Amino acid sequence: MDVSSEAAHLRTLDIAADLLALLHDTTTEPRADTQLEALTLAVSADLPVLLWGEPGIGKTAALNQLAEALDLPLTTVIASVHEPSDFSGLPVVGDDPATQGVPMAPPEWAVRLARAGRGLLFLDELSTAPPAVQAALLRVVLERQVGALRLPPGIRIVAAANPRSSAADGWELSPPLANRFVHLQWTYDHDVVLRGLGGTWPKAELPRLDRERLPDAVGFARRAVCGLLAARPALVHQLPKNEARRGGPWPSPRSWEMALRLIAFATASDVSRDVLSMLVRGTVGDGPGLELLAGLDRMDLPDPETLLADPEGAVLPERGDLRQTVLDGVVAAVRQRPERARWDAAWSLLVRALETGAPDLVVVPAATLAALRRDDWPVPAAIERLSGAVSLSRRADQAAAGAGERR
Amino acid sequence: MTAGTMDEEKLFAARLHAVRSRPYLATALFALHTVESRQVSTMAVDRHWRCYVSPAFVDHTPLAELAGVWVHEVSHLLRDHHGRSDRFAAQHELTGPGERLRMNIAADCEINDDVFGDGLVRPEGAVRPVSLRLPEGQLMEDYLRQFRLGPYTAGYAWLDCGSGADGLERDWDLGSGGATGLSPRERDAVRFRVAQGINGSPGDIPKGWQRWAQEAFHPPQPWRELLGAAVRSAMSGAGEDYTYGRPSRRSAGVPGVVMPSLRRRPPRVCVIVDTSGSVSDAELGSALLEITAIVRAVGGRRDLVSVLSCDAAAHVTQELCHAEGIPLVGGGGTDLRAGFAKVRQGNPRADVIVALTDGHTPWPEARPPGRTVVGLFSRQRPVDGDNPHYRPEAPPAWARVVTVG
Repeated sequence: MDVSSEAAHLRTLDIAADLLALLHDTTTEPRADTQLEALTLAVSADLPVLLWGEPGIGKTAALNQLAEALDLPLTTVIASVHEPSDFSGLPVVGDDPATQGVPMAPPEWAVRLARAGRGLLFLDELSTAPPAVQAALLRVVLERQVGALRLPPGIRIVAAANPRSSAADGWELSPPLANRFVHLQWTYDHDVVLRGLGGTWPKAELPRLDRERLPDAVGFARRAVCGLLAARPALVHQLPKNEARRGGPWPSPRSWEMALRLIAFATASDVSRDVLSMLVRGTVGDGPGLELLAGLDRMDLPDPETLLADPEGAVLPERGDLRQTVLDGVVAAVRQRPERARWDAAWSLLVRALETGAPDLVVVPAATLAALRRDDWPVPAAIERLSGAVSLSRRADQAAAGAGERR
Repeated sequence: MTAGTMDEEKLFAARLHAVRSRPYLATALFALHTVESRQVSTMAVDRHWRCYVSPAFVDHTPLAELAGVWVHEVSHLLRDHHGRSDRFAAQHELTGPGERLRMNIAADCEINDDVFGDGLVRPEGAVRPVSLRLPEGQLMEDYLRQFRLGPYTAGYAWLDCGSGADGLERDWDLGSGGATGLSPRERDAVRFRVAQGINGSPGDIPKGWQRWAQEAFHPPQPWRELLGAAVRSAMSGAGEDYTYGRPSRRSAGVPGVVMPSLRRRPPRVCVIVDTSGSVSDAELGSALLEITAIVRAVGGRRDLVSVLSCDAAAHVTQELCHAEGIPLVGGGGTDLRAGFAKVRQGNPRADVIVALTDGHTPWPEARPPGRTVVGLFSRQRPVDGDNPHYRPEAPPAWARVVTVG
């Protein structure tokens, strides 16, 4: 190769490098992204996260962004190409094993992580790791123990796996390992991909924890989880019977504790219920997760006693089904402790409900409340204003009678 | 009420009537937020659980029929027709309003065959599978594969249940920004509460709703995936894994360190096939092909897979190398114990046993030596005239059971 052609060749590479630099030059924008928020919250709550997603949809890219946002160095370990000893430690035979024992030497990446004191450990391709490797990973994920070395608390762990349908030769994730993770389904958002290829990726932001709300958040989370499990003891531990769900989230005391922590973190920060829903369902499974969330919804509803104490200032929920629940609760509270003042206050609440929302919601509570009347209680004037609900009820009755005749 | 505004009393009286005749849908019906709209011709829903109502439609529709429309519209949302339409459209790359109209019609067919009657009047002009010359009781996706827009559907061109039914945004939709809509989590919560209510007291709730409630949050998995998962996890203890039996190839580079090596010991799989008269050849064939494909995918060689056909006695053991055409011998009554006994005698021993059966068999007392997967054909069998109360024995607890077919 003569000198001039070599120079030309170099120039081409320089230009190529410039072009590559331009392509790498992307920006980020704040954008509401539920799954990224969920990932960030779980990582800041120091719970191991497992991302399930088809290959090539940007799990690794999301991890890079997360590491950048959290300002943590990222260490990627491809689980499937490692041996069990890379996680459980390599036994190194010394001079006198009988007195000194055989130390389990940690691999280089673990030493580096431990020395840095903080970082994001990304275990990629978890589901394609052989069972012995998965077993060795149990201790890393749960106890942060790599051989004789303990990873410091500043290390956060995220793993990724391909769903069975796309894994060429996937091993099942064993139920004990699955139970240690918060499972997040990682799907791509068409708009996010389009914006990203256009040069702008969404920005991961840490949930801002409010110091003032911390004690309340812990109390709230404990009430929510204990309230549910007290009423539904069967939900405490349920190993999935269905084959396809064994490698997914399932309820156990361990995963309930994780759910409790997630609720506390979500409550102390300004994270939406949608994000929390994703996390809780990914921790204890769909059914128990949805029951827990339904419980949270009920805890958000105004307390019947507060409403009865101040019917004029009452704020009733906008949503019809929640309003119905609240009104039923008010009537039930009056039934429990029937006093004239409470009965009157309940009527004022019903009038308020009628004036601010759909009238059919009031019909059943009004009928139940009317039946609670004692002989010496005068009919309150407020009842006049409920006549609309009465005629509405009558029309529904007529329709029912008509349908009955036609049947 | 002044002229020109909506007769709210009638609209909500209709909802009350709907709630009284379908108490298990009360939560969902009350969760709907009504929006008066002159752009819709009847009633329509969006995916955020808003219900758009035409005042004129309320005026000229009898109250009893209006109640039926309420239940019909809320059914679209409970059954996630907009999400299913979107998925169907993406999967088959369907675009255009014509296709969405087809989805609306198919969704209506799914709802209308069991939603009316028993106190609810069928609204005039409601689409039913019969009017498209289609069988009743199928899912929207099934109907979509069976008809095109044409003379039978011409009468329904006006049909419009909104974006909540077919996923296509309408002009009148308030979108996700509006304050009155339900967030995805709230929608799930409402659907969950309704499903829980139905599962809690199925009593006299129609079969269609019971099926919906059972599958709302746990859609049935395709049996192929389940069988694959079961066979794979049964094999995972037997196949490739680490062993200290021989030194690792890495050992040469790190003297003084003891390292395990990766050794592959492909599992032997034995498939016991129930060839009694009750299982059809087509079912057996598909299940068998599926198993061989799974075994091959996880690294078992075909010569390690053997098939045993079994009715009252175990017949032929044959290695699978001879093409896919495996002669299955048998017919008549079943006793899989004979098959399991034969596997037990086998030398070398099978690591994994897969039994394909309809379950009408006695099971062995003791746990067989290998891990066991049972593929169960679930079909309605005609009741035995001599013994109408006969119920097959459930597969034992030591087997992983997958319902096949």
